Amino acid sequence: MAAKPGSAPTTYSPNVGQKNRPPIFKDNDLDWVRPDGRGFHQCRPAFFRTGAVNSASGSAYAELGNTKVIVSVFGPRESKKAMMYSDTGRLNCNVSYTTFATPVRGQGLDHKEFSSMLHKALEGAIMLETFPKTTVDVFALVLESGGSDLPVVISCASLALADAGIMMYDLVAAVSVACLGKNLVIDPILEEESFQDGSLMLTCMPSRYEVTQLTFTGEWSTPDINEAMQLCLDACKKLGKVMRTCLKDAASASQE
Amino acid sequence: MGLPNASGDLSTEVEVDAFRRLFPLRFFEKHLLESIRPDARPLGRARDTTIALGAVASANGSALAKIGSTTMLAAIKMEVMTPSMETPDEGCIAIDFHMPPICSPIVRPGRPAEAAPVVAKQLSDTILSSGMINLKELSLVSGKAAWMAYLDIYCLDADGALFDAALLAAVAAFSHLEIPVVSLNDDGKIVLSEGQGLSDREPVNKEKRKVNLGSIPFSLTCILHKNHILADPTSEEESIMETFVTVVLDSSSQLVSLYKPGGPVLAYTSAIQDCIALTRQRVKELRKILEEAISGMEVD
Repeated sequence: MAAKPGSAPTTYSPNVGQKNRPPIFKDNDLDWVRPDGRGFHQCRPAFFRTGAVNSASGSAYAELGNTKVIVSVFGPRESKKAMMYSDTGRLNCNVSYTTFATPVRGQGLDHKEFSSMLHKALEGAIMLETFPKTTVDVFALVLESGGSDLPVVISCASLALADAGIMMYDLVAAVSVACLGKNLVIDPILEEESFQDGSLMLTCMPSRYEVTQLTFTGEWSTPDINEAMQLCLDACKKLGKVMRTCLKDAASASQE
Repeated sequence: MGLPNASGDLSTEVEVDAFRRLFPLRFFEKHLLESIRPDARPLGRARDTTIALGAVASANGSALAKIGSTTMLAAIKMEVMTPSMETPDEGCIAIDFHMPPICSPIVRPGRPAEAAPVVAKQLSDTILSSGMINLKELSLVSGKAAWMAYLDIYCLDADGALFDAALLAAVAAFSHLEIPVVSLNDDGKIVLSEGQGLSDREPVNKEKRKVNLGSIPFSLTCILHKNHILADPTSEEESIMETFVTVVLDSSSQLVSLYKPGGPVLAYTSAIQDCIALTRQRVKELRKILEEAISGMEVD
């Protein structure tokens, strides 16, 4: 018999515990190339598609490199019984990882904070007063983690909300920048994230040019922050255009 | 039907959608009398089915299976374990089935779906007892190291016939599985020896890159309602008519499992035989779809 319950033997992955991988760049070396051959200020090509899950009110699938995410939106529907009465609608967010999303099985459980960060990034863009007393649920599942997971989840979630017909002031686009030594690289992949000295994530409503969330961690100098924010804003603007095109395509396809 | 109840009179007056929501059973029965289903399928036909192999790059084997809008993503990750004393030259397969909150409005975070553990148990019973995988093939160094295959199946969209789609995704993931080449290092641990050019150690599993699949199990779920048999139900049909029969046959049409979890309709031998006949047809379809998916991969 295989897989006896309660007697699961301890297992390990054969690709950990090898010799340390060499760092992807050396200090002061400005000539290094990114592992996927992109320029420092170049994002991965983004692919979005709405209507991925039929049983949801709205849904979207996003793929940037190896980062693959599905977001479903349910509602507006009845709030939980225990909830107090509320004039405005509620937003409920949850982000989870598949067990095979990360290179080592089951590591995705470390991202407990993503649910509340997704909530904070979206709530400023949603017209909560348009669905009083009810709740909109935004559930995200990271199918595969390839770096910059949270920004992809946020962008994908705003598309799913739009697909569900939830009123918003604007789409929300999110991009992150990693600080590697003296260099700023935009939209870092998993490998770059593991070596980063600092990271900055900016989510904004591109057509209104308003920021809904800005987080940075690690070591930053003021000029670097300014440059990184500008990079993010420009990238969000472009990402917003891609997302808008995706919605327009879906709408024109459904009309035909 | 001649029943003088309200729904019969209303059926000519209210809109179709309203009637469907108010009297779902009557709505379906009206269709069944015409031997057709609301989605225009004949009773015995399954929905369109597709398989895409290699959907997850971070796994050793993966597949995405779709039956109608029911979508399942299965992925296998290979890890190393010490085999048990009783079976020193056998590996192990751990199967888990997940229904994350994205898949259906009835699943919410922290409140797992009731169906998930049932399907998980059915899946591991079916896969392990079908003899599809010889666990001896998962052995690396007898008594010291063997593969533990973690098979996780995620339901991305739940629209009925969850077990059928999950089993199809699982089987397809195994047929896509490629076992990494590994070698034994000085500490007695198994490490990857692929792509490093450091061939100081002889790989322990040079020839065992693919698992040989024995007889592959395929399944079909049917609904029994009065004397009708509906193959491959949608979630709407499952919520209205509550007697299911799931038949699992292997590729040589041998019965692997038969599952009828109660329900108001009692099945006669003839109904069960009809279900098995429908499954036999379906197995042929599914085998073809899987073979096409595999040969499509080889061309790439």
